[in-house]
Amino acid sequence: MAHAVISCLHANLAAFEAVLEDIDQQGIDSITCLGDLVGYGPQPNEVVELIRQRGIPTCQGCWDEDIIDGLNSCECSYPSQLAERRGHQAHHWTASRLTEENKAFLATLPLTLRKDKLLFVHGSPNSQHEYLLPDMNAFAALERVETAGAETLFCGHTHQPYVRELSGGSIRVSVQQKGNQPNTEQEMALPVRRIVNAGSVGEPRHGNTKATYVIHNDSTGEVSIREVDYDVAKTCKAIVDVGLPEVFAWRLSHGFEYAERADDASHVCER
Amino acid sequence: MERWALVSGLCGDLDLYEQIQSDLRRKRGTAHLFVLGDMVGPDRNCNDLLSRLRQPKRGDLQPNCIYGWWEEQLLAEHGYRGGQKPEAFDHENEAITLQKLREAVNVDHLNWLASLQFGFIELDCGLIHGSSADVGDQLLETTSPLILLDRLTRLDVNRLFTARSGRQFHLQLNGGTIQSKVKDHAGEDQQEHTVPKRSVIGIGSGANYTLYDPASDHIEFLSVSGRSGRFNLGFG
Repeated sequence: MAHAVISCLHANLAAFEAVLEDIDQQGIDSITCLGDLVGYGPQPNEVVELIRQRGIPTCQGCWDEDIIDGLNSCECSYPSQLAERRGHQAHHWTASRLTEENKAFLATLPLTLRKDKLLFVHGSPNSQHEYLLPDMNAFAALERVETAGAETLFCGHTHQPYVRELSGGSIRVSVQQKGNQPNTEQEMALPVRRIVNAGSVGEPRHGNTKATYVIHNDSTGEVSIREVDYDVAKTCKAIVDVGLPEVFAWRLSHGFEYAERADDASHVCER
Repeated sequence: MERWALVSGLCGDLDLYEQIQSDLRRKRGTAHLFVLGDMVGPDRNCNDLLSRLRQPKRGDLQPNCIYGWWEEQLLAEHGYRGGQKPEAFDHENEAITLQKLREAVNVDHLNWLASLQFGFIELDCGLIHGSSADVGDQLLETTSPLILLDRLTRLDVNRLFTARSGRQFHLQLNGGTIQSKVKDHAGEDQQEHTVPKRSVIGIGSGANYTLYDPASDHIEFLSVSGRSGRFNLGFG
C-alpha cells in the first residue's frame, strides 16, 4: 500500500493544499506528517487546522516545540545571529497569531510515530533539532536508525529530500582487558538500514521552488520523491502582507535558504 | 611526553586518593592527573576529599577534575541543574540515598562542583565520565561498536576515556566499511565509508585506575594494592 510522508509545512497553506491534491490524485489515503506545521510562513492556523481536519498523524517538529515550550534551544538552531533574529521574529509573530486551541493541539503531538519497523521523527530519534544530512557520517547515521530499533527511519528538518541506504557494513574490534587475559578480536556485521528524508512542503531548500514529499510503498519498500508546483507568489505576498521578514518570501521564491544551513551534522543539541 | 593518570569513583574516600597519589609518586614520569568524576557519593563524608582536590598538598599531582554522575545528582538536588534523569528514580531507597548524598557534601563545595566541566579534550583524546552522549552513559567492552563509534564521532576524537561503567578495558576499532547510497532529486551517489582507527578506554573506578602514555599510546591498568575496585553505579 502506498503511503505519503510529508514534513516541514511551515505555515504555507498554498503549498500544503497543492501537496494534498497531488496525494489525493494518486488515490493515497494514508499520510504521516513529520512536524514543523508552523514557523516562517503566514498561515499557521490554517495549516494546523487542515492537519486536524484531515486527521493526519503528526510528530512534533522543532518549531512546534518552540511555540509550546518557548525559545530555549542551544546555539545549534540558527547558523548566524542574523538568522536567529529573523527566526525569533517569526517565532513571536507565530506565537501571537496561533489560537490557544491550535497551540494545545501542537502540545499533544508525539515526538515519534512507529509502524512496525518504520519510525517517523522530525529531526532524528535523539532530538527534533538534530539534522540528519545526506552526507552525515554513514556509521553515525546507521547508529541513529539501529539504536531506535527501526529498519527505515523517516525524517525531515533538513528540507532536502533524499533516500539513503546503508548496507554491507562491518566493524572489527579488539579488546584488551586488565590482567593477563589475551586480546579478543571480533567482527560485527551491521544491518541494512534506510533513512528517508521527506523534504519540505512549505519551505523547500533542495534547489528549486517546488514543494517536496515522499511516497513509500509498504509492500515493495520503494520510495519516490515527489515535487509539486504550487502558487509560490501567493505565499510570498502573504508573508510580506502580514509583516514577516521579506527575506522569507525571497528565499521561498528561490527555493533555497540563503546562508542558513546546519553545517555540523555531528552536533548534538544541548537543549 | 609524560604520562597521564586517570582516576574516577573516589566517592569521598580520601585514604584511597592518598594511596593513589602515593602510588603515582613512585611511578616516575606521571605528570598529569585527571579525575573523571564521582568524587562524591552517598556512602561517606566527602568534604575532606573535596578540600584536598581543591587545595592539593605539597607533593600531590595537581588533579584536573570533571563532574560525574553523582555530582550531577547532587547538583540537581540543590537546584544547580535540571531534574535528575528518569533512571535515577527507579530505586526504592532513592530518597534515603539522596538524603545521604546531600549530607555527605558541605554546601561550600557546591559552587566548585558546579563549575566543573563535562569533559576534557587533550591532544586527540576525550576524557569524560560517561560519554559524549550523557554523563550517565555506560560504555562497556561489550557495548555495540556502532554506539562506541558514534560516541567517538560526536567528540571528533581518536580515543575516548570513560569511567562510568567502572570497567577497565581497551577496545580498539580496527577497521570495517559500510556502503552508503544516497538518492535525491539530483541523482544517485554511492560511497564507501571506512571505520577510522579509534579506541575507547574504560579507566576503572575507585582503587582501579589507568595510566596512559600519549607518546607511545601505551595503556596500563592498575589497582591500589590491598584495595578492591569498589564501585557504586547509583540507584539502579
